[in-house]
Parts: sequence; structure tokens; C-alpha cells
Amino acid sequence: MSLILRLLVTSLLGLFLVFAAQAGKPALVVYTYDSFTSEWGPGPQVKAAFENKCGCTLELVGLADGVSILNRLKLEGARSKADMVLGIDTSLTAEARATGLFEKHGLALHNSVLPNPWVDDSFLPYDFGYFAFVYDKTSLSNPPTSLRALVENPDGPNILIQDPRTSTPGLGLLLWIKMVYGDQADQAWAQLSERVVTVSKGWSEAYGLFLKGEAPMVLSYTTSPAYHLIAEQDERFAAARFTEGHYQQIEVAGLLESSQQKELAREFLRFMLSEEFQSIIPTTNWMYPAALATAKLPKDFDQLIDPSPALLFDDELVARHRKTWVNEWLEVMSR
Amino acid sequence: MAILAPIAGLLQLSFIPGFEQGEFRVWESAYIRRVFVFSLWQALLSTLLSIAPALLVARAFAYHPVFPLRSLLLKLFGLPLVVPAVVVVMAIVSVYGSDGWIPQGRSLYGLKGILLAHVFFNMPLAVRLLLPLWQAIPRQHWQLGEQLGFTDWHRWRYLEWPMLREGLPGILLLVFMLCLTSFAVVLTLGGGPRSTTLEVAIYQSLRFDFDPAQAIVLALLQLALCTLVALIALRFQKLPQVEITLSPASGATASSHNLFASVVILAAAVFVGMPLLAMFLDALSGPLVRVLGNIHLWKSAANTLMIGLCASAIAVVAGWLLLRTSSELANRGQTQKAKFIELSGSIIYVFPPLVIGTGIFVLLVGKVDGFDCVYAVVILVNALMGLPFVIRGLGPAMRQSNMRYQRLCQSLALVGWHRFRLVDWPLLRRPVGLSAALVAALAMGDLGVVALFGTPQTATLPLVIYQQLGAYLIPQAAVTAAVLLLLCLLVFWLLEHKLGGKPNARD
Repeated sequence: MSLILRLLVTSLLGLFLVFAAQAGKPALVVYTYDSFTSEWGPGPQVKAAFENKCGCTLELVGLADGVSILNRLKLEGARSKADMVLGIDTSLTAEARATGLFEKHGLALHNSVLPNPWVDDSFLPYDFGYFAFVYDKTSLSNPPTSLRALVENPDGPNILIQDPRTSTPGLGLLLWIKMVYGDQADQAWAQLSERVVTVSKGWSEAYGLFLKGEAPMVLSYTTSPAYHLIAEQDERFAAARFTEGHYQQIEVAGLLESSQQKELAREFLRFMLSEEFQSIIPTTNWMYPAALATAKLPKDFDQLIDPSPALLFDDELVARHRKTWVNEWLEVMSR
Repeated sequence: MAILAPIAGLLQLSFIPGFEQGEFRVWESAYIRRVFVFSLWQALLSTLLSIAPALLVARAFAYHPVFPLRSLLLKLFGLPLVVPAVVVVMAIVSVYGSDGWIPQGRSLYGLKGILLAHVFFNMPLAVRLLLPLWQAIPRQHWQLGEQLGFTDWHRWRYLEWPMLREGLPGILLLVFMLCLTSFAVVLTLGGGPRSTTLEVAIYQSLRFDFDPAQAIVLALLQLALCTLVALIALRFQKLPQVEITLSPASGATASSHNLFASVVILAAAVFVGMPLLAMFLDALSGPLVRVLGNIHLWKSAANTLMIGLCASAIAVVAGWLLLRTSSELANRGQTQKAKFIELSGSIIYVFPPLVIGTGIFVLLVGKVDGFDCVYAVVILVNALMGLPFVIRGLGPAMRQSNMRYQRLCQSLALVGWHRFRLVDWPLLRRPVGLSAALVAALAMGDLGVVALFGTPQTATLPLVIYQQLGAYLIPQAAVTAAVLLLLCLLVFWLLEHKLGGKPNARD
């Protein structure tokens, strides 16, 4: 009994200390997603490198994902403690802009390696990637070579995908199919659904099931095999190259109008596009850095497929149609 | 009555983000209707499939107070509840997946997968909650039954059933709620949007569409569904009419049942044990040293422990106050009100943590510093979510104490702390231990609320598991999951034995 009491008292004390500890230098508060702030993400290195320069504290607040960041801002409005956000992607930027909470960044992006010119004056990109179906070379010898081949071959491989309502890759596939099939997207989904083993809530579940051997292919990124190559020296995995091209995801950062630290925030944005930040990205976020010369990527990135042409809808168009398209998908998939 | 305020306030709170947007066309959507029907169908099936075997298993345990490894088995039965859904999904797949021990192929994904996971989650929980009902049957009753030459059927009819009628409806309701609001399991093992539940739709409308009004409407729909089930369940509830003044004894002894009971217990142990074993095997083949040598892991573990224990303490105190209020009202003859209060506490679970969390968040924004109080909010929300478990666990014992001693206490003018220490505590100790353990475990496994409010420097273990999975570190995640399981086992042991006292200590 006394042991429990002691435990309780200690934990309450701990709670108090957590509240109390905060003071000193100017702090830059950045809302991001928690795989960015996690020990294995870019967060710790980015924090150390930036604090080295700025004489400030960089406070990275990890929320569940890009959607959570946006919702949090909508809830807090102009009272938000955040100075900037990092980690929403191009399927959310239009909606984010519409909140009116963001200020123009006012910076030029000179060294972009994005396949298309960057024109957004509210947000700046820090990395990007392409959705792709990843497979195990030892169990699938002839993967489909195009999205149409995957969809239309009734004897094609089974796949694991994510739900477009809860996950970014899931929404990516929805847009990818929309781009390739246009008005026939619902028929494509009807054909494909026969071979969808399951639709998971997030990327982790689907990828975990894939590694457990539940299906020969999983919706992920063209850069996923790089993780297995570099971190595990495992060459079994590859992404299937589709001739129509691959749908692109660009992750961006933006500055909040309500911030009291705009200069510091702009300094961070500049830092974000510097080589120091950019070279942290490939092996922590497992994405392509948006402003780092291809030659400076880790060697094993050479082995990844060439995803061109990059497919991407205009963000305003996505914002207008997302709900209808998701409902259309639901209608087909829940039959 | 004080305890009513936060709860009533909270229910209202959840409405705040809704404003008055009016015009809900929710019911008109064919999709929502389908979702409604599916939610109900899977929750009913899951509940029945969990409770029916749980009755057999609990009975077997009750008849075998000295079954080998009994205490360890019962502790294991507390575990499925805490395992984060994603880990359960992986474990279920290790056992029943296409490369698993008992391969089910693609047919796993669908109703079958959902039911497997739900029975895995809830059958052991139901056993834990049902067993005390058997243990509350006084020894003298068993002896009397023996003298009268009761057959098995007689024992069931005259000794066990009357006892079960009091607690069973509440347990049914709790399991039903857990199945109705289960989220990640349904989504991943359900095989796609065909198997969507209301809970998923609530998530979608609050997160993706950011339409709090619709989220509230759906949550209310869910609430209505649960209330309906609660009312039906309560109709079958019959409180014992007589004062029970005899000392309860754990266990009848009927040797004729030995074989059957052993088979039942073994089958349940295998069913629950296989996925747990799969988890530990995954962990053992993972990079043990690298994960366990990491200081952050232990900081997160400490955090998790703190959240679990605080939430559990708050939930137990709140639950106790709630039940006191309810029995106080019942003593004054206001049975309807009393029932309502108890119901409000036991049904809170139908509001998804995301809805409650968002409600609290809206209230707090601007008033206190947003994320300095992350832990406080996480603890509070988890304590509320744990309330139904406390009410299930404590309810019957409170009623007994009330029935037995209320008049005595009145005549002795025994009130307040003295009454608590002398009268209530000895009776309540064990159920308090069990409820505290369940709530702590539940809070330790929570992910939703922490992820909603953003993470301070050190995370909780379930969050670390998700972060590891998100960073391709799947073997590492398996190790972390095992650490979480062991930590929960420790908490169970601590709370049940240290707080709850040794079993049979009073006999």
C-alpha cells in the first residue's frame, strides 16, 4: 500500500516538474507530426543544428499527422502558441491557406529540385516523395508495370492499401487513380477492390501486414526500399515502376500570421532549405529533400526507380473535390 | 452530488465545438445507414461471442480455486485490454494470417477478423469481471446446496443465476460498448469500408472533414444505441432482494466438473495466449539490446506508468463518489435518479476520446497554456474513459455494503471517513484493486488522446510504438510492445495484490 502511495506522490511530483520546466531564450514553436520529432526522425538533429546557430530554443511539437496539425490550428485560431508549421502536404495546403492563418513566406526558392516549378507564396517545400506499390522481389517476380495493368488484370497480385479518409498515402492512391482514370475512376476501384486484402487506417498497419506476408504488394513510397537497403542492408524490396508516372506528395512548412517571432521563423525557413537541414532528410524521413542536388543523396538512392512523370493535381482542385471523390470511393468500396 | 457536475459538464462540453450548425442530413445517407447496421451487428455478435465463453471460463475458474497457474492466467487475462490496437492486429495476423500458425487466408479480413480480435480483447475482460460474481456467492449457500443434493442444473438455477442477474447486464453493456467503439481493429481487420463502424465515421467527420457538428450527431447516435442496449440490459437486471449477511467464499468444489472445466480453461488460455505469445516471440527475435538500452524508452515507460496510475486513482475516486451518490439517492427512494446517475457514468465510453478530448481542448484554449497541461488532460480523459470499468467493478460490492450496513451505520451514526475505513474499505478493497488495475492498464495503452494533444519531449510507450512503426522500425516496435505488456503486468500485480489485498485474506 505504501509503495503505491509513494509511486503516486512521485508521479504527481513529476507532473508538476514537467509543468514548471520552461524559461529562458526566445523559443520558436513549430507544430509538426510526431514521426518528425521522434528519436528516429529528423527532429533531434534538426533541433540541435538550428539551436547551434540561432541562440534560441526550437520547440518541435509533434501531433499525430498533417491533418491533426491543421485541425489544431483551426481550433486555436490566432491564439495558437505556434509560430510555424512543418509537415502538411500538398493535399492540405489549399485548405490551410483558406483558414487565413498563414502569412506569405516572402522567400525565394533558388535551389529547388522539384520536378515542377514552385509557385506557392504561403508555403515552402522541404521534401517530397512519390507513392508506389512496394513488393518483395523474392516472392513476386513480375510485378505490374503500369497502374492500368495493376487495376485491370483480374489475376494480378493482391494488395494492401490505406484508407483515404485517415491516411495520406490512401488519399494519394485515390488521386493517382483519379488522374489516370478520370471519370472512370469508380469502375477502376470496383475492379481493383477484388484484390484489396484490406484497407488500413494508416501506413504503419498496412506496411506491417505486408512485412508479415499478408499480401505481395503494399501502397507506400518509391523511397521505401531505400530504408531496407541502407538501414538493413536488405535488397529484397523494390517499388514497381508504373509507366503512367507516380503521384507526388510534397511536404511543406509555413509561417503563422499570429506569430511574435516572425524573423526567427523566417530564419528557420532559410535553414530548412540549407544543405545542413536538407541532408538530414533522406535517411531520417526517407523522402527526397526538396533543395538538395541529386548528387548529394546517399549512394543507395541510385537504386530507386525513376518515378517520372510526376503526377500532381492543383491543390485548390483537390480541396474542392476531395469530399466528393472520397464519397465516390466509399460508395464503390463498401458495396 | 458533486461528481455529477464534471460529467454533465463534459457531456455539454462535447457540444461546444458543434455550435448551432443545424441541418443534419446524416440519416439520409445510405452509407451512414449501412454503417449503423453494421456497427450494431458486429457489436452484438462480438458481445455474444465474448460473453458466452467467458461465462463458461469464469465458472470453470470459480469451481477451481486451486487450478495450477490460476493467478498467472488471470493476470494474463487482464492484458489484451491494454495492448495498442495496432499490436493486437499484428499479433492476430501472426496467429491467423496467411503465414500464421493457423492460416485463415484472405477470409480473415472481414467479420471473421473483427470477431476474432474482439473476442480476444473482451472475453478475458469479461472473465475478470464475471469471476467476482461467482466469488460473491456465500460458502454457506454452496454447502446448503450440497446437503440438498443439488444437481448441476439446480446449482446454476438457484445459486449462480440469481447472482449473475445483478452483474451480467452491466458487463454485457460494457463489452458491447467496447466493441461498438473499437476503431483501428475494425478498420484494419474488417477488410475495407464494407466494415466501417460509427466510430470510424465520427473520426472521419472530426478529423478529416473537421465538421464537429456532424461528429457530435454521430456520437449521439452512438449514445442512443448504447442507451437502448443499456435499457434492454437493465430490464433483465434483478438486484438481490435479500441482504447477504453470510461470508462469501471463493469457490465451490465439485470434482465431477474437473475434466470439462480444465478443458474450458485450457482452451481459453490457448486462445488468449497464442497472440500474446506471438507478441513476445516477435519481441525476442527483435533487437532487444538496442531497444532496451535506450534511455528514452524508460522515460516513456515512466510517463506511461504515471499516466496510468494517476488516471486510475482519479477514476476510482470519481467512480466511488458516483456510486455513493447513486446509493444515497436509492436509499432515499429516488431509484430512477440513482439509476440515471449510474448509467451516465457507465456509458461515457461511447463518446470517443477524440470527441471528449476536443471538447476539453476547446474549453482550455486561451484559458491555460495549451500544451503544458497535456499530461493533465490526457490523465483526465483517460480517467473518464475508465469510469465504466470502475462502475462495473465496484457497483455490486457497493450495493452489498449499502444493503448490509446502511441501517447499522445509521444507527451507529457512523459517517464519513470512519464509515469508509471500517465498513466500506474492507468490502471494497478487492474490487477497488481490480478496477484500479483495469483503468490503469487501459490508460497506459491509450494512444488517441496523447496523439491529439501533441507530444512533449517524452512520449508514452504506445506512442513510441507508433513512432517506431512509422519509421520502419517494426522489430523494435515489437520489443517496445513487450515492454508495455510487462509493465502492465507489473501494474496489475501491484494494484491487485498490494491495493486489493491477497485473495481470501478475509476468510
